[in-house]
Amino acid sequence: MTEEMERDENVFLMGEEVAQYNGAYKVSEGMLAKFGPRRVFDTPISEAAFSGLGVGAATMGLRPIIEFMSWSFTLVCLDQIVNNAANVRYMSGGQYKVPIVFRGGNGIAHQLGATHSHRVETIYARIPGLIVVSPSTAYDAKGLLKSSIRCNDPVIFLESEKMLNETSEVPDDPEFLLPLGVANVEREGSEVTVVSYGRTMQRVTRAAVKSLVDEGVDVELIDLRTLRPLDTATLVQSIQKTGRCVIVDEDYGYCGMGQAIMASVYKRVFDYLDAPIAHVHSDEIPVPFNHYLEEAMMPSEERVIAAVKDVCYR
Amino acid sequence: MPSEITMPQLSDTMTEGTVVKWYKKEGEKVKSGEKVADVETDKAVMEMESFDSGTIAVILAPEGSKVPVGGSIAVVASAKEDPGEVKKRYASGAPKKAPATSAQIKAEIRDPLSIEAEPASLGDPHKKEPATASVATIAPPKAGGNGHGSNGGRIFASPLARRIAEENGLELASITGSGPGGRIIQRDVLGFKRGARSGAAISGSSPEGDSQRTKAAADLRSFAPKVASGEKTVTAMTKMRQTIANRLQQSMQTLPHFYETVDIDIESLVGLRERVNKSLEKSGVRLSVGDFVAKAVAMTLLKHPSLNSHYNGQTAEVTSYGDVNLGMAVALENGLIVPVLRNIDKMGLAEIRARSADLVDRARAQKLKQDEMTGATFTVSNLGTHGIRQFTAIINPPEVAILAVGAAEKRAVVRGDAIVARTIMSVTLSSDHRVVDGAAAADFLKTLRALLEEPGMMLV
Repeated sequence: MTEEMERDENVFLMGEEVAQYNGAYKVSEGMLAKFGPRRVFDTPISEAAFSGLGVGAATMGLRPIIEFMSWSFTLVCLDQIVNNAANVRYMSGGQYKVPIVFRGGNGIAHQLGATHSHRVETIYARIPGLIVVSPSTAYDAKGLLKSSIRCNDPVIFLESEKMLNETSEVPDDPEFLLPLGVANVEREGSEVTVVSYGRTMQRVTRAAVKSLVDEGVDVELIDLRTLRPLDTATLVQSIQKTGRCVIVDEDYGYCGMGQAIMASVYKRVFDYLDAPIAHVHSDEIPVPFNHYLEEAMMPSEERVIAAVKDVCYR
Repeated sequence: MPSEITMPQLSDTMTEGTVVKWYKKEGEKVKSGEKVADVETDKAVMEMESFDSGTIAVILAPEGSKVPVGGSIAVVASAKEDPGEVKKRYASGAPKKAPATSAQIKAEIRDPLSIEAEPASLGDPHKKEPATASVATIAPPKAGGNGHGSNGGRIFASPLARRIAEENGLELASITGSGPGGRIIQRDVLGFKRGARSGAAISGSSPEGDSQRTKAAADLRSFAPKVASGEKTVTAMTKMRQTIANRLQQSMQTLPHFYETVDIDIESLVGLRERVNKSLEKSGVRLSVGDFVAKAVAMTLLKHPSLNSHYNGQTAEVTSYGDVNLGMAVALENGLIVPVLRNIDKMGLAEIRARSADLVDRARAQKLKQDEMTGATFTVSNLGTHGIRQFTAIINPPEVAILAVGAAEKRAVVRGDAIVARTIMSVTLSSDHRVVDGAAAADFLKTLRALLEEPGMMLV
């Protein structure tokens, strides 16, 4: 964010506690001191108000970054995001653009309870006009966030509180950008395609794939990186090659991201499939506060491994 | 004079054929040797060529009709004749006897169902059949459901499995599914495809033995009943099945079979095979125990020509041959076919391996040429790869004997006064007692056993 704010004076950051407190999760540490209160400022606890303010600022030519403490809180500002941010460019016949990034923690982030643990990807990924991004490493987060800030359309940037401490090799290059809408084939394989994204990728999928590979299952692992627009070309190509696919996410199954991904590719891969596409997802219950129950409802390495073996008939 | 196209006899056992497809219509010109129709025999769908040039004046057997061997199926008018005239003549029910084609002659001089009626000239294994047919590259004949009846005839297969089967011209009905509910999946189709190579009757423990085991394991996994309890399925026998039924029943009821079994210690052969295969590793050749058995059988037959013979009951003649054409029984999903390795006695082991693998492959794909299925002078049936210790085989007349080869396995045997573990293979010779006596059969087995127990003797 700092690099992009240095590069473009129209970029600014607002959100609850992003300035004086250096961010609820210290994401914006030192930014107030660096850029001053005109470009880094705290908002009242009213998502509807400040997201609306951001959409207005974006239509007038600024490039706001809005931090939500949790994406669960955006249920109160759906109108601003879904109705306004997503539609202004279309309804103004292209006269106004909305170059805005909404970012914050998405999903289950350890004992925050049912109301603060929503996975909102399908709420936003179904809306034409929005771009939905979900990085799974620090490297991806930098490259994708910078591309999102430079994007002229509203971007829903789904982070995870649990991943803020994750480290990985990150290029210093201020021009390091990763393209939006392009999935990353992390490992090439021939036997089964495993598709995942975001924290699930980091929390269970990679480890499960590693054990499977150790067992001799030649897995092709795909990190989606962007959920809308979905990189169906990469998925279709991979599944046509392997003939099998398992999708792993921590969304619910019914009307969840995995089902949407499945439906997006099914027709084009049908003739190549040796087994129905499998989907490993969270249980269909409110997210429990209890640590063990919370863990139990989410996809686990074991569940992923079992699903992969199932489609491989092993 | 117009000439008739008659139903050719495309195999020894063929009594009638079905016209599957006409490539020519009435009034169309045809050249000698040109493909005119596809004919389904008891074994395969074959292309039929015209012997004469001219115009197809009348088609007497429309598509789908059955015609006995030698029966007319069409009439060709020569260049000097008016096809319309010819058609009229035939339509008025006065078919003129046309000059007999060679196929017709063949049909006339033999009763194909009678095993004894094997004229020596045609039984001569070294003479090729007249080129009346070439094998058509047509999908294998539709097999009547293989245990898929309980799904109301529907075969459940993954889309990928369907695609692979289609690309390889495999019939899903002949493949056993190992997926949930008997679903045919990729592995089953690929296994079936590989099995075509590994199922070689003669191949013994070929390198593809693994896939055989995999398939067996897959079969075990599929416990879903093939016919649901309380239901039954009625399946029409395929032509091939009917032929097998007729031939084997006739053989068993007509030929006085007797059986002799020997246990052969192949410990040193197994060692030799390993050493040879190691040396051959780079060339990609991997000999099976079955290849050695085939070689030894061929050499043994040269020493005992009375078993390398054909018996003709009508003329009361036994024809013994100076060359060995070895038939190899190959199991198909719903049948059995015996491709013939001609002049195997003149082949080295590598050539035996390559040629038998090729024959078995094409037998599975039902792409054998006619002369590759006829003219065996002796047959070997090998169920060793199926783990069978010992069994008896039914003679394939006019041959007079058949060798049933069991599995090579470690057994506790007595050497001196000690019990030791040795690799033993039991073989059983079925002989036709009308031609072969017990002592002759025993002599054959003695020679065979000597060659296999001391394979170096094959070099002598």
